Amino acid sequence: MSVPALRARPGISAAVGLAAALLMVSVAIELTRERVVSEPPAVLPTLWMRSPAVMDRLALEFDAVASDVYWIRAVVYYGGVRRSEDPLKNYDLLHPLLDLTTSLDPRFLLAYRMGAIFLSEAYPGGAGRPDLAIALLEKGVRLNPNRWELLHDIGFVYFWTYRDYVKAAEWLDRAARVPGSPQWIKPVMAGMLARGGERSTARLLWTEMLRSDERGMQDIARIRLEQLDAMDQIDAIHSLIARVTLATGVRPASWRDLIAHGWIRGVPHDPSGTEYVLDPFTGRVTVSQESGIFPMPDQLEAAR
Amino acid sequence: MGQIWNIARGVFKESVRDRVPYSLVLFAVLLMAASYLISQLTAGQDLKIIKDLGLASISVIGLLIAIFIGIGLVSKEVERRSIYSLLSKPISRTAFILGKFAGLVMTLVVNVGAMTVAFYAVLAYMNWMAEPALRAAWEAPAMDVRLTIPIALSLAQLTMVTAIALFFSTFSSPLLSALFTLGVWTAGHFNADLRNFENVLDSPVAVYVARTLYYLLPNFAPFDVKAQVVHGEGVSAAHVVLMLAYAAVYVGALLSAAVAIFRRRDFK
Amino acid sequence: MLALRTEGLTKEYSIGFWRKRPYVALDHLTMEVEQGEVFGFLGPNGAGKTTTLKLLMQLIYPTSGGAWILGKPAGDLGVKCRIGYLPEHPYFYDYLTAEELLTYFASLFGIQGGARRARVAAVLDEVGIGAERRMQLRQYSKGMVQRVGIAQAILNEPELVFFDEPMSGLDPLGRREMRHLMLRLRDRGCTVFFSSHILADAEALCSRVAILAGGKKVADGKLTDILAFELRGWELVVANVTPAWLGRLKERATGVVELAPGRFTLELPPVSPEPTIAALTEAGATIVSLNPIRDTLEDFFVRHVASAPRRHSEV
Repeated sequence: MSVPALRARPGISAAVGLAAALLMVSVAIELTRERVVSEPPAVLPTLWMRSPAVMDRLALEFDAVASDVYWIRAVVYYGGVRRSEDPLKNYDLLHPLLDLTTSLDPRFLLAYRMGAIFLSEAYPGGAGRPDLAIALLEKGVRLNPNRWELLHDIGFVYFWTYRDYVKAAEWLDRAARVPGSPQWIKPVMAGMLARGGERSTARLLWTEMLRSDERGMQDIARIRLEQLDAMDQIDAIHSLIARVTLATGVRPASWRDLIAHGWIRGVPHDPSGTEYVLDPFTGRVTVSQESGIFPMPDQLEAAR
Repeated sequence: MGQIWNIARGVFKESVRDRVPYSLVLFAVLLMAASYLISQLTAGQDLKIIKDLGLASISVIGLLIAIFIGIGLVSKEVERRSIYSLLSKPISRTAFILGKFAGLVMTLVVNVGAMTVAFYAVLAYMNWMAEPALRAAWEAPAMDVRLTIPIALSLAQLTMVTAIALFFSTFSSPLLSALFTLGVWTAGHFNADLRNFENVLDSPVAVYVARTLYYLLPNFAPFDVKAQVVHGEGVSAAHVVLMLAYAAVYVGALLSAAVAIFRRRDFK
Repeated sequence: MLALRTEGLTKEYSIGFWRKRPYVALDHLTMEVEQGEVFGFLGPNGAGKTTTLKLLMQLIYPTSGGAWILGKPAGDLGVKCRIGYLPEHPYFYDYLTAEELLTYFASLFGIQGGARRARVAAVLDEVGIGAERRMQLRQYSKGMVQRVGIAQAILNEPELVFFDEPMSGLDPLGRREMRHLMLRLRDRGCTVFFSSHILADAEALCSRVAILAGGKKVADGKLTDILAFELRGWELVVANVTPAWLGRLKERATGVVELAPGRFTLELPPVSPEPTIAALTEAGATIVSLNPIRDTLEDFFVRHVASAPRRHSEV
């Protein structure tokens, strides 16, 4: 007889198959929703905890982990805003996130240093708030008075963003007086006082930064140096264009003009490998928006 | 099947006799009453605060109920051995699981309903107490019917959490189920960050993994339309329909998996 | 049609974390239970009795073998309408009252409305739960919980009922009531299958038994067949025995116990006791009682079961 003797253990494949199929359908629905429904107008993500004191208590003994979580959120937030296509980029949460990160772990050097860079970088590449950057770094200095890097970074903000070379030199001086600080600070400081706004000084500072222990700082320094090189290259191209205009009486309107007449062999590339853009109306050369070193900092004067 | 209804009624009855949901709902009601007092302390933003607090309470209390009861739905019966006498009755294991789920959903609907009534009562009082000039200044009316939308979506989200808790309950102890469920719930809320990860990560493998996780793990963020509705902005019908469909399908997947696991278990 | 039939029913567990050693909980059990009888399923603790019952209820799944309940494969949902089950150490939802619990179970059987109310009340009466039926189960004593367990097992007027250690938790009065209940069930035509490690109950109730040890069946059949009717001896209670006779008594008897001055219990060898009785009577002693000592189930157990090894299956 074919009646089974006793119901055997039910197989799992049918139900698991069903579960997997339904999961795939749910993914399909998610994809549909993302395509069909426009995201609601900029409702800012909420940062429920703004008070570092409260967060500190809430985190109990897990301060360091909590600070890491907030650091990751800060980085992801910064990256997300920076790369989003929304023309009205809003970095408002950046400082609170960094403040929380550094309150939970006051020794989190990287958070101070890179946070300051994110904050001070000109909008829309960054928050455009050098004042907040300095506030963050000053907090770091209060809690870590023996870290010369933070003093150096404050000076850097004055140098790079404010172009206040006197103030910058003051802070570099303070950095130099911290025992254990590197030898190159004093000469750079001197050079800054002498030739403040020059690329050579900037190049010096960024080259030193390249030797930093922090991978993040190194990456930024690398990009900055490429940007400095790009500035030099742009200057060279501008003077070439000036010579060509003088020689031919007509200002070249495109790369093709220059190549056709043999002034250059090919379209020039910036250090990141992207082609430069020549504006036909103004004759100015700029770095392309797709380039890895876009956006460029304000032009620094070449060495006189 | 009638058996599913029988089990569901049993779950509902248990929840009614259980002190925990009572206290939680009572707490929510008190909170809403208190929110009225709180709102009087702040200048201007009083209606918004009441709405925010009310909607948040409903969400949080609902979540606590879903997890509290959900984790024990199956594991308690198995640990206490009451499942022995139950499964010797003419009821299939599938009906058992589905009945448990239905029962908890029923419980949630009733509790959320009760909290919603309290919520609207407070809003009605607010409305009645306010002067016409103040009322005109509000971004959205106090007794805004559209408030039911975030509540409905919250309920949909809660059914997903219930399904998650039930799923874990079919094979692990209440404690482990609670941890896992909370873990998945947390991941579901930070899901949006996973999406942004691809803006920051360089390695394509990591991006692929992040993307896969993003889609497989439940995505709870889009269920949260509280802020929009409180500010008087609408929510598109398409959004609501798609979210409800998403919840239904995801719940289906979890229930299938839960049934699969439960049907194969030996109850030692 | 047999009430219950198993064939080669086997359950093996893998225990141990790294090297999975198989543990044979039940080893190829083959047995038959006729309709309408009271069948005892006996064995020491850990023999596999509860495992067998769980396999029949499909609470666990077999490694191999089969079982048929009322002609249908075990686990069939339709058959579950016609059977009852009392698990060992029953636990029910303690926030319900006995009445509510039985009402709940009755609804699972599809019994509704007035018929349900009547049935619940009748069953509670039968197991002896009175006004307590409206108290929550969490306030019940162990014995009362056991009664509720029995109640839910017979709620659907089953044709075949399975009791796992039905006497546990009951006081002597309760046990007597339980025995009467089982006989009443039999009289109504219900087949009663119960497992126990208490042999006295089996002796009083069962027509047939199966004996399990170490996962294997070591004996089955009529009780009277298993326990050979051979006499092991006689138990003689005498009074008014003079001290002079005491020494002689000790010669004839294998055991002498003094109950009171002059009153003794004698254990005599399995030969005819008549000569001894005659001699005692002649000496002026009074014969109080004479009882044959037969092989008890316990003796059988001790002889057969203690030495039964459990098979460890080779992987």
